[in-house]
Amino acid sequence: MIPGKIQRFLEEYANVATSGSRDRDLVPYGHRVIGWRIGADRDSLICLVPAQFTDQLVDNLTDNGQYSVTIEEFPSHETYQFKGRYLRHRDPEPQDHAAHARIVARFQKGVRTMFPELPEQLLRDYMLEPALAVEIQVEEIFLQTPGPGAGTRLVPPVGAGGA
Amino acid sequence: MTDVETAKLPAALRPVLDNGIPAVIVTCSTAGVPNATIISQVYYVDESHVALSFQFFNKTIRNVRENPRAAVMLADVAAAANWVLALEFERSEKAGPIFEAMDIHIEAIASSTGMSGIFKLQAADVYRVRSVRHVPFHP
Repeated sequence: MIPGKIQRFLEEYANVATSGSRDRDLVPYGHRVIGWRIGADRDSLICLVPAQFTDQLVDNLTDNGQYSVTIEEFPSHETYQFKGRYLRHRDPEPQDHAAHARIVARFQKGVRTMFPELPEQLLRDYMLEPALAVEIQVEEIFLQTPGPGAGTRLVPPVGAGGA
Repeated sequence: MTDVETAKLPAALRPVLDNGIPAVIVTCSTAGVPNATIISQVYYVDESHVALSFQFFNKTIRNVRENPRAAVMLADVAAAANWVLALEFERSEKAGPIFEAMDIHIEAIASSTGMSGIFKLQAADVYRVRSVRHVPFHP
């Protein structure tokens, strides 16, 4: 189960994300993520990927199932990395588009606090539109906020097993 | 989607390395688990090499020492595009001109983002560029 504090972070504060997959030769690939929402079981995560970053993604996920997504709140830099196993992919649904719209609004608000003069169009362009929804079973969560504690495993807690 | 496929860094990429927008690095352990994290700086070394900062002995550092392949994504907001670099770790430098230049730059970034003192450069990790992709936001 994704802890309540992190659920609130994902649903109310986080505003920017990225993800990684890898091929059968262990070559890593980066994929921008421009939206997310917690699955109905509160244990899975649906990540929304723009068309420009789906290259190799489905091939990698169907080959080995490994996926990591890092989600941040800008400008506080509070960040978590979610590592999990691929469940399925599909076209984005209305709920996904609604989640994307909320995150775009949060992103624009967050960036405005640091860069109030940034052109509106530039911010809109940056967030892109979701083309693919990837659902993963979250198996591990790591603190990724910059600093010496970055990389600390939160779920399952250190000492409780896991990779 | 792809309009550049080369192991040389194009001139258009140079200013993006200095635009102050954090980049993303994805690495993979030998156990096959990818790791995606944000990095503060990608430093130009020469037309086919970049250096990344080693500040903490974190998962990224561990991964590239066991599996040298990495992918880096850079945001070129002014040109409404991303750049995607496929990299291979070559060596780590703990002194010299690359290290010193990165150390100064990192402290400047830290100061401007309210994180002065949190970042301390341990080494400059030098990577060979295997390929470069330019990904416009709107093809």
